[in-house]
Amino acid sequence: MAEYRKVYGLGAEFESAAALMHAAEKIRDAGFSKWDVHTPFPIHGMDKAMGLGKSWLSAPVFIGGTTGLLTAVCLEMIPSFSLYKLIVHGKPYDWRTIPAFFPIMFELTVLFSAFTTVFSLMVMNQLPKWYHPVFNWERFARVTDDGFFLVIEARDPKFSETKTRALLEEIGGQHVTLIHD
Amino acid sequence: MSDHSHEITPPAVETYDIKRAGNAPKILLWVGIAGIVLSVIGLCYQPWHVQAAYSWLFAAFYFFSLCVGGLFWTCLHHATDSEWSVTVRRQMENIAKVTPVSLLFFLPLLLFCANDLWKWWNLHPGEDPLLDGKSGYLNHTFFWVRWIVYFVLLGWISYSLWKRSTDQDKDGAARHTLIMRKLGVGGIPAMGLCITFSAADYLMGLDYHWFSTMWGVYLFAGAAGSGMALTVLIVNWLKNQGYLKVVNDEHFHTMGKFLLAFTIFWAYIGFDQYMLIWYANIPEETAYFRLRNTETWWYFSQALVVCRFFLPFPVLLFQFIKKNTIILWVSWWILAMQILDMYVIVLPALHREGFHPSLFDLFSFVGIGGILGWVFLTKVIGKSYLYPTRDPRLLLSLKLSN
Repeated sequence: MAEYRKVYGLGAEFESAAALMHAAEKIRDAGFSKWDVHTPFPIHGMDKAMGLGKSWLSAPVFIGGTTGLLTAVCLEMIPSFSLYKLIVHGKPYDWRTIPAFFPIMFELTVLFSAFTTVFSLMVMNQLPKWYHPVFNWERFARVTDDGFFLVIEARDPKFSETKTRALLEEIGGQHVTLIHD
Repeated sequence: MSDHSHEITPPAVETYDIKRAGNAPKILLWVGIAGIVLSVIGLCYQPWHVQAAYSWLFAAFYFFSLCVGGLFWTCLHHATDSEWSVTVRRQMENIAKVTPVSLLFFLPLLLFCANDLWKWWNLHPGEDPLLDGKSGYLNHTFFWVRWIVYFVLLGWISYSLWKRSTDQDKDGAARHTLIMRKLGVGGIPAMGLCITFSAADYLMGLDYHWFSTMWGVYLFAGAAGSGMALTVLIVNWLKNQGYLKVVNDEHFHTMGKFLLAFTIFWAYIGFDQYMLIWYANIPEETAYFRLRNTETWWYFSQALVVCRFFLPFPVLLFQFIKKNTIILWVSWWILAMQILDMYVIVLPALHREGFHPSLFDLFSFVGIGGILGWVFLTKVIGKSYLYPTRDPRLLLSLKLSN
């Protein structure tokens, strides 16, 4: 190829979900950090095999939910208690009328945490994304059908074109291919 | 996935050895008999009769709700074709199997205390127009028929599920799973109707003027949550004695999720019932909460809201707590709050002037609880393997990961 193209990483194909799971365990134990597996369907236990640990999604969701709750509290209590007091259904307009406010507090908590979940997930997964180097690899198209792939990126500090290739082949990877950016 | 299931081999079968329980069955039996005898003395001696009857109803419905909770989780397992719960399912089946026994404790109330507990029992047609409108439902014959229906229906479902499950331990036939699935799908509405109507009969009937369409689902929410809490505690109790090695942190994590779900669901239903009545402000509906939100009962109602929801909710939110011994404390807590819930439902109907503790609350509680615990230890838990050994989804349950 005439023009220079940066190396993205090394990809390997595995014949089954189980083989991929064992491969992931070995790559994890070899100490790689910038790598991922690609499969047609979710595989239970893959997070452990990859050593991913607990997702930090719960933290933004908790903050989002709390923000929603506080928004509802302010939105309802400031007008009803001080700005524009109204007697509705003969109920008092102080904290004793709080049962009427609970549904809104509940809904806004749910709404804000749902939004935070969706947007945090998009940030965590770097979506939307229009281009990814793995699609330069022709075999990779089978990932939505029956292919199980493992890709180690070149920016991983332990990456070496020859040694990583040898490792992937040793743990059962087929069609080990250098993927360009 | 199934293609590497060969890695895990099914563990050895295990049966509960009653000797491991030590003196527990004996103590439960004697405490139970003592409690029952003292309560029966109270029921027979006229000045104590009414108090003893209310205390008995409180205790009987508490233990009945726990058993129905176990039945619900068994049915749900089969109806949804769950994988995760196979290893703990036998304990749910065991709890459910006690249901008909717990229903027997309503018999003394129906036979000897009906006119003290349920005021409509003695009223004749024409005395109260509000009762006349309900007489198609609230009459002696139909009241008895309903008790028989609860007994037969719940007893039949819980026994069949247990029987099929233990038969599968012997022959490993897949048809048992298919039949249990049908029983589970039918069992959920049957259980739902039974707890709805029994809650209306025995608890809502304490004030026959009052009605709430949320009543049944409110009692169900409490029963399902505390049934799960009881399952957690029984499973852990067995694990502490060296059984059920097949149950790991992941199973406790899932059970903890259900505890959280039913803590929220209980609060959701309880609040819905309260808010609609509070907002509409119709005297015949507010009577229930007016009684329980005045005098010293106010503190009990507030404590229930705070302790049944606001305390366990943030604790159960965290993942690590569900895999930690804290989950056991939360389970004890939920069982205790179910006691408080039943207490606030039953006793204010008698002591309208405020909280009035009585020894009979304790007697009937330890009496019925002791007898049911003894039945569980000696007649139920040792009669089968501690988990469904040949269930087709056992391996998938062993590999559970959250």
